[in-house]
Amino acid sequence: MEPAVVDAGSGILKFNHALPEYGPEVIPTQMKQVPEDESSTDASLLENVIVDPVVRGFIRDWDAMEDLLSHVLYTGLGWEIGNEGQILFTDPLATPKAVREQLVQMMFEKFNISGFFASEQAVLSLYAVGRISGCTVDIGHGKMDIASVIEGAVQHISSRRFEIGGLDLTNLFAQELRKSNPLVNFSISDVEKLKERYASCAEDDAAYQKIQQACPEEQHTLPDGQVIKIGRERYTVGEALFQPSILGLELHGIVEQLVRCISTVSSENHRQLLENTVLCGGSASMTGFEDRFQKEASLSSSAIRPCLVKPPEYMPDNLSKYSAWVGGAILAKVVFPQNQHVTKADYDETGPSIVHRKCF
Amino acid sequence: MSWQTYVDEHLMCDIEGHAGLRLSSAAIMGHDGSIWAQSSAFPALKPDEITGIQTDFNEPGHLAPTGLFIAGTKYMVIQGEPNAVIRGKKGSGGITIKKTGQAMVFGLYEEPVTPGQCNMVVERLADYLIDQGL
Repeated sequence: MEPAVVDAGSGILKFNHALPEYGPEVIPTQMKQVPEDESSTDASLLENVIVDPVVRGFIRDWDAMEDLLSHVLYTGLGWEIGNEGQILFTDPLATPKAVREQLVQMMFEKFNISGFFASEQAVLSLYAVGRISGCTVDIGHGKMDIASVIEGAVQHISSRRFEIGGLDLTNLFAQELRKSNPLVNFSISDVEKLKERYASCAEDDAAYQKIQQACPEEQHTLPDGQVIKIGRERYTVGEALFQPSILGLELHGIVEQLVRCISTVSSENHRQLLENTVLCGGSASMTGFEDRFQKEASLSSSAIRPCLVKPPEYMPDNLSKYSAWVGGAILAKVVFPQNQHVTKADYDETGPSIVHRKCF
Repeated sequence: MSWQTYVDEHLMCDIEGHAGLRLSSAAIMGHDGSIWAQSSAFPALKPDEITGIQTDFNEPGHLAPTGLFIAGTKYMVIQGEPNAVIRGKKGSGGITIKKTGQAMVFGLYEEPVTPGQCNMVVERLADYLIDQGL
């Protein structure tokens, strides 16, 4: 049986057997808590509580995560109780040791799997494009990571994690839309879909300024029938990553952050890192984001310009959204057959701390 | 048990399940750098390299920008455990150093030994020494 690869993000969970050509199955990570007692038949009392097992990239609600994973593994992938296979997880940057250990513990004790491996998302995204060194800019739903990887090892000193992500962009979009359409009620899931459809990046700073003054407006009909106008708000969302002051944060734009992170690495590696930059994550597939990134990169203050890597032709087109999963599938094909993973026997002998020794 | 026996039988042993696969060299030395026992191929560390390693145990992140030097060879510092383990990588080989109460256990490996296997060997012995109060 093929090992399973799971990439649990704050917004969507990607899972499938380790078949890189096929890409992952995708389900939202958000869960609704169903009240246990069925005696209350009064519908108005049933409050649907939304539970987020993964917050800002890290697993926070372990019971919810367990329920989600049993659905994914037993129902989604067709595992049978008593015959569980091997699984590879992806970790975001700077995952606390306790979180990793708790995940290993849950997998071996509750799910009784036969083999486990965990790897950092930055390394996996690079494997997906066929590199072992380079830097990744991973813009996810709950967090943004800028990581530099040399020969498969993340350089933690020069990697940074930001607590902004697609979620904050959605909130910004909702805020802007409410300002220009004051009579319309939005729900967050509607705004999320609108953002995915309409958000784009202006070509450069000057173009953005022009758009702020005058922008063609588009009409859009919401599922409940209300009609809204979307104009320059869509560009505001795209601009927020390059000028975080729009989100109210005192940070430099994304390209500047990348250059600063790389500058803390010894200079012999600079070229290798900057010329192999990978953009991944859902928000990085915004219209115009790559072009804007390239443009900002050519204006950046470093001697070596960041260059984006082109994914190999045999990879599917929307690779940047799922590159961590695809890299995980590639790694799973190497690690499990060679027995470099954590086996049940290893776990029984050493305990959860074995994940720090064997998985990196 | 002499310290040399520890090195020969527990560090330079066959990695479990893989006959003939072992670390390329290993050593146990005190916190001050004095060698308690070493394998025949273990390289001679220079005094400032030993000081660098000691400083990195006390202030994690000290060696990362410059690199870890062992007898003049440069290893790239990868994720270790602050105040406990230093791990370095050089091409397909590398080094793991774990600090115990009074000593430091070194293990150097080359292909086809994996980093995980080196960690297991070095850290298992070091954990045993920590339990014994050494």
